[in-house]
Amino acid sequence: MQQAIPYKSWPLPLHTNTGHTQQSFTLLNDTNQSLVSPKAVLKPTEDMLSMVSESAVIVFARRGCCMGHVVRRLLLGLGVNPALYEVDEKDEGAVIKELELIRNGKDGKVQFPAVFIGGSLFGGLDRVMATHISGDLIPILKDAGALWL
Amino acid sequence: MNSPSAQFVTSRRIGVYDPIHQIGMWGENFKSNSNLNASASLIVEDVKLDSQSQDASHGTEGPSNQYDQEATKPTDKVQRRLAQNREAARKSRLRKKAYVQQLETSRLKLIQLEQELERARQQGLYIGGGLDAGHLGFSGTVNSGITTFEMEYGHWMEEQNRQICDLRNALNAHITDIELRMLVESGMNHYFELFRMKATATKADVFYMMSGMWKTSAERFFLWIGGVRPSQLLKVLGPQLNPMTKQQSLDVLNLEHSCQQAEDALSQGMERLQQTLADTVAAGQLSEGSCNRQMTNAMEKLEALRTFVGQADHVRKETLQQMLHILTIRQAARGLLALGEYFQRLRALSSLWATRPREPA
Repeated sequence: MQQAIPYKSWPLPLHTNTGHTQQSFTLLNDTNQSLVSPKAVLKPTEDMLSMVSESAVIVFARRGCCMGHVVRRLLLGLGVNPALYEVDEKDEGAVIKELELIRNGKDGKVQFPAVFIGGSLFGGLDRVMATHISGDLIPILKDAGALWL
Repeated sequence: MNSPSAQFVTSRRIGVYDPIHQIGMWGENFKSNSNLNASASLIVEDVKLDSQSQDASHGTEGPSNQYDQEATKPTDKVQRRLAQNREAARKSRLRKKAYVQQLETSRLKLIQLEQELERARQQGLYIGGGLDAGHLGFSGTVNSGITTFEMEYGHWMEEQNRQICDLRNALNAHITDIELRMLVESGMNHYFELFRMKATATKADVFYMMSGMWKTSAERFFLWIGGVRPSQLLKVLGPQLNPMTKQQSLDVLNLEHSCQQAEDALSQGMERLQQTLADTVAAGQLSEGSCNRQMTNAMEKLEALRTFVGQADHVRKETLQQMLHILTIRQAARGLLALGEYFQRLRALSSLWATRPREPA
């Protein structure tokens, strides 16, 4: 039975089994339920900022969105365990605004699903796919400490 | 022209009420004889009476029969037979009338379609590009976005065949790399053009794109989210690119692997979408009949389908471009040629299959 993992108290790195990395913490428990409700996190902007900067990889997606699922499956398939922040429809606008504030250097509108790697906005599904096909995604993930070996 | 009686004799010899034969007779008479109804009904009645007694042929009763006591029973039987026969003939006439009306309507429709086709041909449009005989767009409403796409696809295919020929000739003629590069770039741009066309058509009808309706049947067998599976293509074409350097072989293998991973992620997303859509449609009690809300929610979910087709094409495009990075110009030219020929073969297979001799039913 998986225990609920409180955020900010995750020791890094956790395990380094060959091929299976648990470097980034996750806001989801084993049954994929959000442990932290968006409301609790949204109020202080700092929490979102620290969430982003402390995760090697974090994905912001609309709740139940299939494209968010695609991004997550792709990253999982590479051996990365990305943090996932599911956004309710009513919180969408607010979350986007905050993400744009902490985007850390990337231009353009923030759209869901939005992927942050190594603390800065990487892009959406388009960019993730293109970077993966060109073979550049894995080195970037390794640099950010999301992948070992 | 054959006289009705001669045709009737043939039918009589067969001894069965042969509807096809009847239709043939009706059809020919219709063309050249305005007395169709009269002569045809005679034929019908005569055939019907083939097994009946001769004197009952025109539905008249013989008054002489009534005087004979012993003949009363036969008279009744005869009269009953006459009545039944009249009834059957009447029903047959009605059926024939309905059938002829149906034929008339279809004939008019056919003339209309032929006229449209002729008009379109004269304007230089190409209808029916890669479509088999089997595809007939039964959507009811005319979707101009799809019609446009099919027309443009026809042109695209013609251009594609030309480019394949050019590539083949160029490689055999050992032209310079610079000239080859131009051909390769044309080829690549041509594929990018197809992706653009698909993007526009997806807005018109995503289900059409998802079902690969513009493709031939053998191509459709390999369908994955509205197109080919990049990893599969790489597996097929990889060996055709030899000789390659070790590094190139490794790069192609890695690319194949990356495609596989991207495809898996998209496929899993699709499964999720299917599940979500199924749940949305089935929301509430199925036995209560559908309500607006389920339909509205379901429609929203379907919007996501367009994104999937877009993403799948994005992966295909990126794969093409990555191959261009990995290969030399000459290898790329050979690769494009192989790709084009592979699809030509698949299309030929579709035609062969469509025209294969059918087993007798």
